[in-house]
Amino acid sequence: MTIPKKISEELVKKLVELKDTSELMLDLAYSALLLNSKELAEEVEQLEEHVDDLHTEFELLALRSGFSPKESKNFLGLIRLGVVTEAIADAAAQIAEVVLRGLKPHPILKMVIEEADETVTRVQVAENSELVGKTLREAEIPERTGMWVLVIRRGKKWIRPRPNTKIQAGDIIIASGYAEGESDLTKLATAKT
Amino acid sequence: MGGLRLALKLGASKSMTEFEKVEYKPVPVRELLTEMKDISELMIDLAYSAALFHSKELAEEVLELESYVDNLVYLLNMNAMLAARDAEDAEALLSVTAVANAADKISDAAADMAAIVLKDIGVHPLIRRAFQKVEEQLTRVKVKSNSFFVDKTVGELKLAPTIGVDVIAIRRGKKWIIDPDDEEIIREGDVLIARGAPAGIEEFEEAAEGKIEKLEEE
Repeated sequence: MTIPKKISEELVKKLVELKDTSELMLDLAYSALLLNSKELAEEVEQLEEHVDDLHTEFELLALRSGFSPKESKNFLGLIRLGVVTEAIADAAAQIAEVVLRGLKPHPILKMVIEEADETVTRVQVAENSELVGKTLREAEIPERTGMWVLVIRRGKKWIRPRPNTKIQAGDIIIASGYAEGESDLTKLATAKT
Repeated sequence: MGGLRLALKLGASKSMTEFEKVEYKPVPVRELLTEMKDISELMIDLAYSAALFHSKELAEEVLELESYVDNLVYLLNMNAMLAARDAEDAEALLSVTAVANAADKISDAAADMAAIVLKDIGVHPLIRRAFQKVEEQLTRVKVKSNSFFVDKTVGELKLAPTIGVDVIAIRRGKKWIIDPDDEEIIREGDVLIARGAPAGIEEFEEAAEGKIEKLEEE
């Protein structure tokens, strides 16, 4: 590679964030529909703006990285991949818009989200759950249940999950994953094992 | 798992690349949308896999799925139109068609990704580096003869509940099995393409290569 290391590292970082954020948005958008939640839908809209900015920065960075003519095809592939993530983010925003425009999600949508291979679920953490007091890193929810924590609702606040976010009793965990993991997550959140 | 649940019922041909005549069939909107949601999300991972693992065949599968999704959109719209009896119904069904359109957009994005591979545009090495750092990982692994996967069905292995891994495609010789059913039997020499959390993916690779004898559930 002929481009400076600092730029290539920054490109990787931005691409990772673009991909992860666009997929998170899709899950959040479906959660917003399922729960008919304006707050979640607004979160998606905000992320959409963030992705737009990030995508522009990513493209500019790629264009001024100083690649050689020989590398131009590879850089075109890189830029196109960014476009794909942006399109996914747009689709997610489109789903969130249904909620924001005050259209009441049709009952069919709830059924579709619940019976799809990848589903969205929410559980409330009981006081005697073993999750209470653990950080997300310690709780190892994805490893144990196959479910990803998308967002945590604490009272009126929406908390974006970070490895050292501590889980409290009463938290509502919104997670997505393969339908099979749903009951495992419910078990973790309700009873002590 | 197992997608393409509707394909057989709808009589969709394997080669969906030519434009099929749009024809009304009565199919529940719920079934159509579930299929669209599942397939469009699967397509994204298949398309990323095609790029990561340099597979033109996989990219072509993505394009075929894309035209299948296009047909589903037509069917969904027709069925939704017929379901509306009054203005209130029309408003309620708008949320359904909006989501269907979003799923269509996602499938188009996946097809664009597949085109990068098919048109030899080039997959920058940075893409591969980025994919090692994303939350959901993709892998391609060949099933060795001493793996306990051999001669088991996909469902029997319980990959999703135990380690959060989902097999999205199997290559067997020249044949591709996209989104295999639970009943699909894994054979020695199969190339499995799977997605999941990093820890689960690592365990999955070791199991397919016969390095571990069972899946450790946490």
